[in-house]
Formats: sequence, structure tokens, C-alpha cells
Amino acid sequence: MPMYQVKPVFGDDIKTDLPTCMYKLPNIHAQRSASGCSEHALQNGTEVDPAFRDLEVRQDKIMRRLYELKAAVDGLAKTVTTPDADLDQTVTSLSQSPTATSFRGTADLDSLLGKDLGALRDIVINANPARPPLTLLVLHAMLCQRYRVLSSVHVHSSVSGVPAQLLACLGPRHADSYVRQRFQLGFTLIWKDVSKLQMKFSIQNMCPIEGEANVARFLFRLVAPYPSDPALATLVDSWVDTAFFQLAEGSAKERSAVLRALNGALGRDPWLAGPELSLADIACYCCVLQTGPAASCPANVQRWLKACENLGHFGPANPLLQ
Amino acid sequence: MPQSDMAKPSPFVIRRREWGDFYAVFHIYDFCSPRNMSVCGGKGVYGLLSCIERCSFLPCEPDRVLVRVQKLTPEKADQLIWVRARIHTSRAKGKQCFLVLRQQQFNVQALVAVGERASKQMVKFAANINKESIVDVEAMVRKVEQKIESCTQQDVELHIERIFVISQAEPRLPLQLEDCVRPDGEGDEDGRATVNQDTRLDNRVIDLRTTTSQAIFRLQSGVCQLFRDTLTNKGFVEIQTPKIISAASEGGANVFTVSYFKTSAYLAQSPQLYKQMCICADFDKVFCVGPVFRAEDSNTHRHLTEFVGLDIELAFNYHYHEVIESITDTMVQIFKGLRDKCQTEIQTVGKQYPSEPFKFLEPTLRLEYTEGVAMLREAGVDMGDEEDLSTPNEKLLGRLVKEKYDTDFYVLDKYPLAVRPFYTMPDPNDKKYSNSYDMFMRGEEILSGAQRIHDAQLLTERAIHHNIDLEKIKSYIDSFRYGAPPHGGGGIGLERVCMLYLGLHNVRQVSMFPRDPKRLTP
Repeated sequence: MPMYQVKPVFGDDIKTDLPTCMYKLPNIHAQRSASGCSEHALQNGTEVDPAFRDLEVRQDKIMRRLYELKAAVDGLAKTVTTPDADLDQTVTSLSQSPTATSFRGTADLDSLLGKDLGALRDIVINANPARPPLTLLVLHAMLCQRYRVLSSVHVHSSVSGVPAQLLACLGPRHADSYVRQRFQLGFTLIWKDVSKLQMKFSIQNMCPIEGEANVARFLFRLVAPYPSDPALATLVDSWVDTAFFQLAEGSAKERSAVLRALNGALGRDPWLAGPELSLADIACYCCVLQTGPAASCPANVQRWLKACENLGHFGPANPLLQ
Repeated sequence: MPQSDMAKPSPFVIRRREWGDFYAVFHIYDFCSPRNMSVCGGKGVYGLLSCIERCSFLPCEPDRVLVRVQKLTPEKADQLIWVRARIHTSRAKGKQCFLVLRQQQFNVQALVAVGERASKQMVKFAANINKESIVDVEAMVRKVEQKIESCTQQDVELHIERIFVISQAEPRLPLQLEDCVRPDGEGDEDGRATVNQDTRLDNRVIDLRTTTSQAIFRLQSGVCQLFRDTLTNKGFVEIQTPKIISAASEGGANVFTVSYFKTSAYLAQSPQLYKQMCICADFDKVFCVGPVFRAEDSNTHRHLTEFVGLDIELAFNYHYHEVIESITDTMVQIFKGLRDKCQTEIQTVGKQYPSEPFKFLEPTLRLEYTEGVAMLREAGVDMGDEEDLSTPNEKLLGRLVKEKYDTDFYVLDKYPLAVRPFYTMPDPNDKKYSNSYDMFMRGEEILSGAQRIHDAQLLTERAIHHNIDLEKIKSYIDSFRYGAPPHGGGGIGLERVCMLYLGLHNVRQVSMFPRDPKRLTP
């Protein structure tokens, strides 16, 4: 069918004046050919290819690093309220330097606990099921990260029954637990009808240690040393005692006084004693949450509680706090 | 005695030459003439009864019910009841006679007083009944204002209206029951006697009547029952194994020989061989309760030549620790059952033989042999790695474990292979040690067990290594040739477990009629 033909509106022979001050790019739609009249150096021979390749490789490396940084920043965003990066569990391989509290091995156990006599070094803790020792459960988790620990829970005949979550408080049984010799340290928790928490380690050389605060100090020294500065060490000790005597066992007035003191101290520093997490923070966290829910604490204390939780050490204590 | 009083003796009286007899004769005739006895159910008030007479009361008073002394509480006050019990003590004071009537662990005070129901002669008769005689008493239960401390039924007392002797005891008893029950230290202070164990065992029938003995054997019965119940609930099958066997099972030396028609046979030292054959016969989990005979010439506080063995054997799936867990769980269930249900018995035994209550952990503590050796070395004992534990070392280790873990019951696992019998399975990871274990109560061994070798080839090798004559154990090795599952087990002695649970010091106290190298009767 013949169609209506439109006469061309403009002719294709009009000359345009291109400005000469502009940079001319080759036609990207044209075929690339070795003899192409491109002005770009990239298309001229093979001696430029390595440079191009190097550039590509550099670009790839930079892109990779950028992606890693992006992932790290995403992780850090979660812990943005946590000022301490040393014990941060979510920092990726970018932070390569090991901190002072990383794996120490058996040599340290020998110096701390005495010569190894060829048998499992078993720490025995007798606790009352009415008052589970949360601090010690947290320290147990930290011990398990540093040593091979054989944990077991027993119920003494003086107690008739114990709830299931107390029986499972040290976590699932280790696959190797049928050979006690393969472990460096033993952690035996016995639920017993005792008035004060008690720890026994070496019958010949040590008398039993009583009180959750003292046992916590013993266990913490197996995990990390106390601060070498005596003033700081005393501060840690004083907070530990405050936590166990006034916060856990004190009257309502004493407890609110301690919470106010905590609020004041945490307003100045991110942690209770020094720039890092210490035993003081662990003890106070457990005792604060045992006395009441987090929402009822002052603002700084709540922020600090959130920071502690983000560190991930307090997992074992949480099911027992409900 | 006035001549008229000596009337014709009633045909119902036992012929005995005792003072009280004459009074009884007089009064039975007086009050219980044959006419009365047969018609109105015997309106006699007291006396001795012959064997025939005991049955003669029943058709006359068919609704007579004997009340247990244990049930005599203030609820029964002012009721007229019949009681059959033993005379524990009797004491006459003027016009009254106080009796203590005893029935197993329970006793109650009873009173015969001169009044409208009782005459002076009756009071005298009651006072003269020999101790340990069995009497039938009809009495009124009365509440007392002041608690009677010396009896178990402290709130009531019986006012006797009728008393009859069913079975009389001899006047001189070989031993006195109060002396039997007295704790050892107390006797020396007051100058009162305590009874030697040999005298007790010679007169076992009387010694077993004491409250302590009653409590001990009721507890032992409880142990046996808990053992059966726990294992049956776990799916075990009870088996009976033969005790007359053709070859010594454990070792040649300590076995009794019996003449068996034209040859001789042996009394079984343990049911080991037959337990294992049952496992090979697909019974999977078995236990047996039966006598064990060991001809060991040991005169110690914990050895008997015949005792009751509670033996367990089971096949396991992947690791012999399943066997250890099964056995220790059974023991813990037994301990818990005793703790919860037999407290009265434990307290009663504790009055005469005070001891610390028995403590245990659940799940049971399991230590390895190397740990035990390390603990002993730390305490100053010099011993080699593969040396067996001597009895004093076992006791010391028990004290150390008690000090550290506060438990009287624990398992020592992975003994050295050199000190175990030939059928013990060696440890696959370390050939110096074996898959064997011992269990201890209060520092003394109660169970020796292991994973058994279930492969005939390996068993033969181990037997050769121990220089055992293969001919003698041929049938034993043969039982593993037709497919045997991996299995293990152990056996405990009932008497030793009871003795150690109660903290007693001699196993003969816990065996009803004990057998040792020097004692064959009663």
C-alpha cells in the first residue's frame, strides 16, 4: 500500500561548527581495531596493557578493601556504643593485633595453680541452688575460651531436686568428656545445701575459699591478670565487694545508693575501672540484674548494661535471670 | 497353801513346776471352770495356756481382733482392745505391776493394778511372767498426761484386765536385750554390760529381736527391693544362675569343693560366666540376686565366706561408659530410696551405732586412676603408675575425695591392665590401662567391674598372657565364638553395701546368720 511520504525536514548535509576547545572522545560504538584511529593510548599496542592490567589490579584491590571496610563498619555499627574494641567479638580480621588477654596455654596454668601432677586440675564449687552464682557462670564461659575445660554439674544428696536449667547451666557436655586427661582444667559445680558458696581446689595446699566474690577473683586471675596499677586494682576490688555485699545482699536503701554511685561512675568513664572490661563490671552486671530489671536503673547504668550485653560474655547468665 | 485351795487341777494347765503355776491352777479353776470356758468364751482372767487352748479361744470369740502396738495412739483412748506382744520388762511395786510390752520396734507401757478387775494374785502372776514370753492381753487404752519417754508409744498406756501367756520363755536368757542395744562406749562408763559379738551371733534368735537388728534387716530388705525395682524399670531381666559349677570362675584358690556323685564340683564364686552367656544369648540386660561362695581364709571385718551378690551385666552401644552410667544410676536410685523411705530405720541404727549420714552426688563422680594416683602422691604416698591400690591407700583416697567433693560414693575408672583379670578389655588408646572400674563407698571397695572381652581370639591371647590353662576355660571362650555383643558389668555385695551405707564396722552385723572361716552355725 503506498504510504504517505514525508519530505525531509532538514537536509543531512548541513555543516556544524564543532568547538575546538572540547576534548574529543572516540566513538564508543565503533569497532575496536588494532589500526583504529583512536587517540587513546590504551589502544596502542601491547606495551600499555601491563600498565592497564596493573591499574585494574590496583582498582580491584581497592574495591575489595572498600568492601571489607564496609562490612567492618556495619559490624561496628552494632557496637557503636561500646568504647572498648579489645574484647569485641564482632570485629573482623582487620584488627590483627592480639590483645593482652588472648590464649595463654598451659604454661600459665602451671605458674598460677602449681605444678601439674599428671592429673586433671579440678576446681570444685559448692553452690546453693536457691542462689545461683551468675558471675561464676560468666567466668566459666571466659575460661572455656582460653583453656580446654571439662565442666560437669552434680546434685548433692543434701538437696532433693534442682530445676533443669540449673543442671544445664554450664552448657552441653563436651564430646571428649569420657577422657578426663585430655583437658587442662576441670570445673565441677555441685548444687548443695550450703549457707555460703564454697570452692575447693587443692586439699593439701589450699583451704576452701568461701564467698562468691572471692571465688570470682580466683577464677578471673586464670582468665586475665589484675591491673598492675595498685590504685586501679583496689578500685576493681572495691566494686566487686560493693556488688556482692551491698547490691546482692543489702536492703533497698543500700541498693539504690549503689545504683546512684554506679550511675555517677559510669557518667565519667565507659567502664567501672579503667579503659577495659574488668571483674568489677562482670560482678556489678550480674548483681544489678539480679536485684531488678534493667529498665528500673538510671540512664548511665542502662547504657553500660547494654554495652556489657553487646560483648557477648553474659550469655550463660541470661537464662537464669528470667 | 491351805489344803482346800489345792483343788483338782484344771486339765487346761501346762504342767510346769513354777510358783506362779500354783496360783494359776487355783485361779483358772476358780474363774474358768470347764463349764464357763466352753459356754461364754472363757471368762478366765489370766493364766498360762497350752497349745490346744490357744486355738480354743477362737471359736468362742470369733470377732477378737489383735491390735498392733504401733497403732496404740490417743485415738484409741478408752477402747477395750486385745494385744499380743512380748514381755520386755516387768516390775512389781506393791499393789501394781508395770510391764513393758514389745512388738518388733514398738513398745508400750502396761499396768496391772489391784482393783475390781484384778486380784493381788493376778498382779503377782503378771510380775512373775518370764521376760520374752509372748502374752495376749485385753486392756483398756488410757491417755497419759506425762509422756512415757522410755517407750515408742509415748502418749498412751494399757490398763490390763486379762492376761494370758501364749508361749513362755525360759527364765534365764543367755543375753539381755537392753545390753544388746546399748551403744559400745556407754556400757563401760556406767558399769553396765554390752554384749560381745560372738555371744550375739551364737544366740542370733534373741539378738535379732532388738530394735537395731530389726531396723538393719528391714533396710537390707529395702536395698534388695530397690535394686530389683530400679533395674526392672530400666528394662533388665532377672536371671537365676547355677551355683554348682564344674570349673572355678575367678581363680583356682578360693573355691569350695563339693562331692558330686562320683566326681566333685565347685560352689560358684560369682555368676560372671553365666551372666556373660546370657548376654551372648541376646538378653541384652540382666541382673541376678543370689549367694556367692568364696573360700577365702580372711578373718577381717568385711569378709564372709558366703554372702548375697547383686550382679549386673549389660550390652552397650558405643562406649563402656554407658555401663558405668547405668550401674551408678542404679546405686544412686537405691541411695535416694533409702534416704527418702527408710529414715526411721537409719535413725534407729544410729542410736546404737552413731555415724555420719551417707552422702552422694548425682550424677556420680567419676575419677580416673591417674587422678587418684596424683591425689595420693600429693598426700605423700609413694606409688608407681601401674601399681594396684592397697586397702589403706583406698581408704586414704576415699577420705581425700570426701574432703574435696563431699561424697561417700565415687567411681575410679581406667585401672592399669596389669592388675585386672584376663577377661578385662584393654584400653584402645593406651595399652597400659584397661576399660575397668571400681566403685567405692566410704573408702571401701564395693564393686569391681569392667568391659569384658567379647572376641574369642583376643580372649585366648589374654588368657595365654596370664598363663591360664586354656582347657579349663574352653567352654567360657566357646560362648563368644558365635557373635557376642560388646558388654560389661559388675557385682556388689548386699551385706557390704548395707554395712557401708549405715557406717557400721563389721559385716557380720548385717548378715543374718553369717558364715566365715570360724563360724558355721546357727
